[in-house]
Amino acid sequence: MARGVMLMSGGIDSPVAIHYMLRQGHELVAVHMDNRPFTDDTPLEKVVDHLTVLRERYHQPIPLYVVPHGSTQTTLMRATDRHVGCILCRRFMWRSAERIAERERATFLVTGESLGQVASQTLSNMHSATVAVQLPIVRPLIGFDKQEIEAVAKEIGTYGISTRPGVCCQAVPDKPATRSNLIQILREEEQVDADQIIDDCVRKAIIL
Amino acid sequence: MYRKLRLCSNNGGYEAIPEPSLHLDLGAVRSTLEAQGIAVVDARVLLVAATDPEVTISRSGRLLFKTRDPAAAERGFQQLRRWLDLPGAPVEEMVPRRGGIS
Repeated sequence: MARGVMLMSGGIDSPVAIHYMLRQGHELVAVHMDNRPFTDDTPLEKVVDHLTVLRERYHQPIPLYVVPHGSTQTTLMRATDRHVGCILCRRFMWRSAERIAERERATFLVTGESLGQVASQTLSNMHSATVAVQLPIVRPLIGFDKQEIEAVAKEIGTYGISTRPGVCCQAVPDKPATRSNLIQILREEEQVDADQIIDDCVRKAIIL
Repeated sequence: MYRKLRLCSNNGGYEAIPEPSLHLDLGAVRSTLEAQGIAVVDARVLLVAATDPEVTISRSGRLLFKTRDPAAAERGFQQLRRWLDLPGAPVEEMVPRRGGIS
């Protein structure tokens, strides 16, 4: 089976997506983009606890890379249009995950996204975000609704971890774009040195 | 005027939202906080200040205190009110409700 890199946020969806991939026998490496100081410690704590549950259930090591993302957010907020901030943020997350996939000899990326759940998960926004990377992206939950995902999360024992109190991301703009124009996104991204940002973040990543 | 200090949507912090919105000069806010010895991350549209508890300050005046302790959030709010001369309701007018203070 193939080896993939999974983005984990600490939410309800990503451990369920991992569950389906591991159940099929794939190997996974987890990546958490650490948004502090725009969040608190709870997303990372949740990811660590999710992985403890999933490692025990599937007897897989699942290494975790924690990639600092707060400084990227700061740079994006200073230099780019706030309305597209979530899409730019996602593009940097994907690029970081892809860089780690190269290091880990992984051949695909995985996400717990499903269509329309939050502002950044419209079809046009997903497209604008994911064209930033070359590796194929697997979305095991793309057609699931929230109730279905929650039911599986409860079954595998990750729901209670995901729903612990936590500070939501303060970098999310008041009115995030729900339909994006890729040309505009690329113009905004030109305001920052994307390669340098990714290099810095991945170099500072720690493995837990 | 700040009237509410309430749990945020993920229940992980307390937020104070002025009604109507303010138009804070975040550069001036940053200078004031740094003069108090507080480290500040300046993201242009908002500040993250290493007060106790840590707080995010938006240009609109929205404050988010990263604590689940309402008393700590209230202390943080009153401290900021003094430093930044924010318009706010006296603490005794805030009445606990559903885990928050409203």
